[in-house]
Amino acid sequence: MIELMNNELTFRFPEVHEEAECSIDFQRTLRIPDDNRAYPLPPGLGRFPVEHVDDFASNLPDTWRTHGGVFIPMYQSEALWINFNADYPCAVKIAAGKINAVSGKPWSNGLSADSQDYVVIPEQPWLDGFNVSEGLIRQFVAMPLGEGFTAEEQITGMAEHGGLQIIAYPMKHDVYVKRFERSLIEEPVLYSKVESRSPDMGLAPGGLMRQEIYEDEYGIDAWDQNNGFRCFIHLANSRQYQMITGHQPPHKPVTARDYTEAGLPWFDYYDDSKALAGSNTLGGLTSVGAKVIQTGQGLLPDNEPVQPKTVKIIRKGNVVRDGKF
Amino acid sequence: MTFGKYIRDQREALKSQDRRFSLRQVAQRIGVEPAYLSKIERGDWAPPSETKIRALAEELGEDADVLLAMAGKVSSDLQEIIRKRPQLFADLIRQLKSAPDQAILRIARDVRDGDW
Repeated sequence: MIELMNNELTFRFPEVHEEAECSIDFQRTLRIPDDNRAYPLPPGLGRFPVEHVDDFASNLPDTWRTHGGVFIPMYQSEALWINFNADYPCAVKIAAGKINAVSGKPWSNGLSADSQDYVVIPEQPWLDGFNVSEGLIRQFVAMPLGEGFTAEEQITGMAEHGGLQIIAYPMKHDVYVKRFERSLIEEPVLYSKVESRSPDMGLAPGGLMRQEIYEDEYGIDAWDQNNGFRCFIHLANSRQYQMITGHQPPHKPVTARDYTEAGLPWFDYYDDSKALAGSNTLGGLTSVGAKVIQTGQGLLPDNEPVQPKTVKIIRKGNVVRDGKF
Repeated sequence: MTFGKYIRDQREALKSQDRRFSLRQVAQRIGVEPAYLSKIERGDWAPPSETKIRALAEELGEDADVLLAMAGKVSSDLQEIIRKRPQLFADLIRQLKSAPDQAILRIARDVRDGDW
């Protein structure tokens, strides 16, 4: 089952193993400049609020009720990153507008063996965007559906789904026991613990960021694909979110320039695991900044280049990237 | 109220609006002999199998779990869940016996997956 508590989704697989669970939350962050320079990791500015679709069903579009799941408020051109937490290994597939964020292929349940279309957690501590080339992603940036910016619209030509889709599969019981429970005795620490009336938003590719998506070191057969759970995360325009829920959305995040000028830290993550190649489909997408220019809408606001002065190095086992502002 | 009488009452209520809910037609749609359904409704025979009760629930717009409970049965998927972790679920159900619905709903709340 998937439980929502403290704005975090917890996927539990008690039928596979009593330890089998992982958690996912959505971090507010600043939008990195979309200027084709590769930036380090921006900070986490706290979790987005997450609401059950069923709690506000009468105020939401029919399609959202059909999809089920949850929703979060985002401002137009606001960025997010997805934060993973697990002690038990899980394979997680993430799509935006039903376009796989790792492979660029259309959504399917199940994991793909020939070209890896999922991340393995806890090895992958987070995902900030679309996998455009080895070691580089384009930041997830919310844009209204129907204006042609989102990855979904650029790839399929349709503004149909929007939102984020996630499915998580736990490691098979036997694989876990063999790899971790037995070796725990010998090695105690292996794992440290648009259309303006529609609220629908989708994720578009923003600025470039240095981030590796790691290859699955366990192999596809390690994952229990009979016991996955999936969730549709709708993205509600922040202004409409308030009308739908009566709750105040978070303030707009600080700009990259203000954050950097205040001397606050950016981050770089080091792990010597092998990184996946980028997806040619995703690599061919036009970023929000470029699309704004292409479509004659001037320049993307708050998009000046920045020179991050403080870049904190983080390593496996110490994966905190909080930004206080 | 017995299972048979409940089914009969519901079916008769529907029949007063729509002739398709006659004993004969309902029996035909769920795949049993009219005489058999009639005996079940009169309580002469025990309630039918889980599959037929589910078909009846679907036909009459009733909740399958409620009809199964009236027939003294527990849905096979629930049995399977309990069989996997019998102590845990037996304890849970006993402890929740007198809890108000709201408290139970809070425990059972998960993120609903829909059609997409």
